[in-house]
Amino acid sequence: MKFLKSLTLPEFSLWNKMREQAKIVSFNLELTGRCNHNCRHCYINLPAQDQQAKAREFKVDEIAGIAEQAVSLGALWCLLTGGEPLLREDFFDIYLSLKKKGLLLSVFTNAALITDKHLCFFKKYPPRDIEITVYGVTQETYEKVTRKPGSFANFTRGLDLLLASGIKVRLKAMVLRSNVRELPEISRFCRGKTKDFFRFDPFLHLRFDGDAARNAEIKTERLAPEEIVALENSDPQRFKAMEKDCAQFIFPESSHSHCNHLFHCGAGQGSFTVSYDGFFRLCSSLWHQDCIGDLRKVSLTDAWSNLVLKVRDMRSDKEKFLKRCRICPIINLCLWCPAHAHLETQEMDSPVEYFCAVAHARAKSLKNN
Amino acid sequence: MEKKLVLESIFAPSEDVVAREIQGEFLIIPITSGIAESDEEIFTLNETARVVWNNLDGKRTLRALIDKLSVEFDSPAAEIENEVCGFTEELLKRKMLIEVKRG
Repeated sequence: MKFLKSLTLPEFSLWNKMREQAKIVSFNLELTGRCNHNCRHCYINLPAQDQQAKAREFKVDEIAGIAEQAVSLGALWCLLTGGEPLLREDFFDIYLSLKKKGLLLSVFTNAALITDKHLCFFKKYPPRDIEITVYGVTQETYEKVTRKPGSFANFTRGLDLLLASGIKVRLKAMVLRSNVRELPEISRFCRGKTKDFFRFDPFLHLRFDGDAARNAEIKTERLAPEEIVALENSDPQRFKAMEKDCAQFIFPESSHSHCNHLFHCGAGQGSFTVSYDGFFRLCSSLWHQDCIGDLRKVSLTDAWSNLVLKVRDMRSDKEKFLKRCRICPIINLCLWCPAHAHLETQEMDSPVEYFCAVAHARAKSLKNN
Repeated sequence: MEKKLVLESIFAPSEDVVAREIQGEFLIIPITSGIAESDEEIFTLNETARVVWNNLDGKRTLRALIDKLSVEFDSPAAEIENEVCGFTEELLKRKMLIEVKRG
């Protein structure tokens, strides 16, 4: 008789059951907003030495308390992100406290702070994966993005250490004006290093803190809609995936066209995010003041049970939105969502012209192909 | 060579794994390396294994456990022994169980 059944995570049927029953499957913990880099496009980073930001960070016991509640609500997987999570001096304590609750952990890092101590630790307590963003494969390009002298050498050293130790690493790239010319080399580098998963993302989000100067800078780093489409078309795997789903993406009448609910996305559906200073959000980008909960004042259980329902029931009566985005037949090709609309326009039910232009460029390309 | 199980021994779950029940599924999640063969691997227990696991408490000998389950399930002790020992050996092989006291 087989008492013990071994399963790999993708074949685990529990995921679907949990989503159907509105249970928590996963959550993201932003351990800090601080970062050792100062990337041009970053939506969150604060200086590594920012003492005010450091003082606001959730402590180990507060994080453990949230994780305890999340686990009791069914959570199985947790992503540790930032800022740069390895900047936390108590990173090992946080990581281990979550592991001991039976959570599977992923870590997003820029790899520049990886030491032998991290390697020993991750080898003993393996993460599900460590995901690293590659900003360039030359010092010039990499440091043009990060604006941190020496960061390229630190990144390559950290990445090589992780790869040599056999820890599972996934690589990805953000594509911005400052590194787009190097994307083919970045893709080759990433696929050559891991022979596994690689993805690039040309969609630069605006700042969570609304910093006007930084937002203006992010906008200058955004690619034009036609450039994004050209990049998508040049990646055979990505283009095939989009082509395959083309019929689902473009449809004559949206199924949501008669509904004035704001949220038709996955926000709060099986997952949530907690900011470094303890704010609960239904998704990473949803920062509207009516959609967040301070976990220093309300419990996670309360936020999950009540706030999520309240937000998911939000509606719009704005004609500009209802007559445009809500009935748009190519909305599934669009980056539009209430969270990003709020970051872009301060309103959750306003169209975003840049997103609209990208969606139309994508639709045109798909139709032509 | 594998050590033969001694029924007077006492076993307990290793601190290198966490057992969790989610939506009726009983999961064993490794904390340390060397238990799963990949970082994508987790383990589920069937009904029988779940009962045995919950009774491997670091206090009771295997023989006491077999006697207890034999009464609870109204089954012959030899049949229960076969299942308990099979599962215990599998857990020991996977390093999910530790021998607290050798009988």
